[in-house]
Amino acid sequence: MSKMIGSYYFVIVGHRDTPLFEMEFTNSKDSKKEDHRHLNQFIAHSALDLIDEHKWKTYNMNLKSVDKFNQWFVSAFVTASLIRFVIVHDNRNDDGIKNFFSEMYEAYIKYSMNPFYEEDSPIKSLAFEKKAQLYGKKFLTS
Amino acid sequence: MSLPGRNRTSILDKPLSRGKGEISLSCFALLFSEVVQYCQNKSRTVTDIQNRLHKLGARVGVKLIDLYFVRERGGKREIKLLNILLFIKSTMWKALFGKEADKLEHSNDDENTYYLMEKEPVVNRYISVPRDKTSLNCAVFVAGMIEAVLVGTGFPAKVTAHWHKGTTYMLKFDDEVLLREKQME
Amino acid sequence: MSRASNRFDTKKVNSELVTLTYGALVAQMVKDAENTDDVSKQLERLGYNMGVRLIEDFLAKTGTGRCMDLKDTADKIQSAFKMYLGVQPNVANWSPGGDEFSFILDTNPLTDLVELPDDLKNLKYCNIICGVIRGALEMVQLDVQSWIVQDQLKGDQNTEIRVKFIRRLEDAMPAGED
Repeated sequence: MSKMIGSYYFVIVGHRDTPLFEMEFTNSKDSKKEDHRHLNQFIAHSALDLIDEHKWKTYNMNLKSVDKFNQWFVSAFVTASLIRFVIVHDNRNDDGIKNFFSEMYEAYIKYSMNPFYEEDSPIKSLAFEKKAQLYGKKFLTS
Repeated sequence: MSLPGRNRTSILDKPLSRGKGEISLSCFALLFSEVVQYCQNKSRTVTDIQNRLHKLGARVGVKLIDLYFVRERGGKREIKLLNILLFIKSTMWKALFGKEADKLEHSNDDENTYYLMEKEPVVNRYISVPRDKTSLNCAVFVAGMIEAVLVGTGFPAKVTAHWHKGTTYMLKFDDEVLLREKQME
Repeated sequence: MSRASNRFDTKKVNSELVTLTYGALVAQMVKDAENTDDVSKQLERLGYNMGVRLIEDFLAKTGTGRCMDLKDTADKIQSAFKMYLGVQPNVANWSPGGDEFSFILDTNPLTDLVELPDDLKNLKYCNIICGVIRGALEMVQLDVQSWIVQDQLKGDQNTEIRVKFIRRLEDAMPAGED
């Protein structure tokens, strides 16, 4: 496979379709993709209906690649509590994404079990961001 | 938003609970009776108390879903109504109370309604209901837990607790659940 | 899980049920209350109510008699921790006069996966334990104060609960029979 830019946009989407956490990962040094966030958000959001349809057809949490839009893929993971993890990416990396989802799910469970965290509220935590960065580096952009 | 005050490990660095920890039932029972007392102090009517207990139970239930599905079900979600009912009756009950719930029945008159029965819910063991509030069944707390798990996993329902053959939880599912179920077949 | 030869109720529940129930209660109290200090006070009071009732259970299950001295009391509370919370704290930091000591917990099921948000940094989440100790001891004619010295939820290495003996309560009715 030809080496592509390798950019990833990760978002956790709550039950009311609002983003609870977002982060971008890239292994390219140039910064010309700064304005991709809106596009990424749009692509991820547009895939939600597909994801919601798909999630009732499998017991798996990892739905893998669910949608494609121009050069972008959309991969999704649906938790038991129906929180959606979505990644918009421009090259195939099924294994990396699978591992990333799985690690972030564990982090999400721990974070959300805190009695002071209310379901569907934004995740504002430095520790959680650090986990996302760590696993993004390890599984996505390495 | 949050800045670390001191250099401490975050909850994210601790291992996920393996569910092996145990606490004495007397301890839970005394805590729960304080929970009931607290709800009572904040309420004017029996309905208020029940709503408060239900809400607290739901707060607990919602936090169990992901943990239990990862730990007890190897990370497989649930998409079938009957299976989620069995999950509650056995998997969840065993993990929480060390035994299955006594009985699960489908209502004869209403397709949307199921009953889960338990002779002696743990939460009622040490609770003596005040004489003027005999209709109060504190297992409504557990009803809140069940409802949160059902709603959270995509099977919206209303769950209530009743004095009948011990305690009977009535699970009434929204129409959409049965509709989806039929489409799956 | 052996049911023979044990006439007392030694049943257990999963600690997650307790942790989450307590967490849900505290979170609700925070919502209902005007300020954090009130919640801390309420938690102590709630623990006190529990302690008053728990002591009977403890005396019945262990067949313990009267405490010889404060050291003996400390040891018995230590075993009560084990019995009820499933963790065994160290007894340490005795005062020179022998009227004050600490329980040091390195793990505490009540705080599993709990992190205090920034606006609740003053909350004494574990104050319930102080209350339990005060309530239980009051029923055996010991008037004590108990408070949290170190708190893992505040970033400390351990959780340290201090107990200070105030006086013996002579007039009160005994909790159990001789």
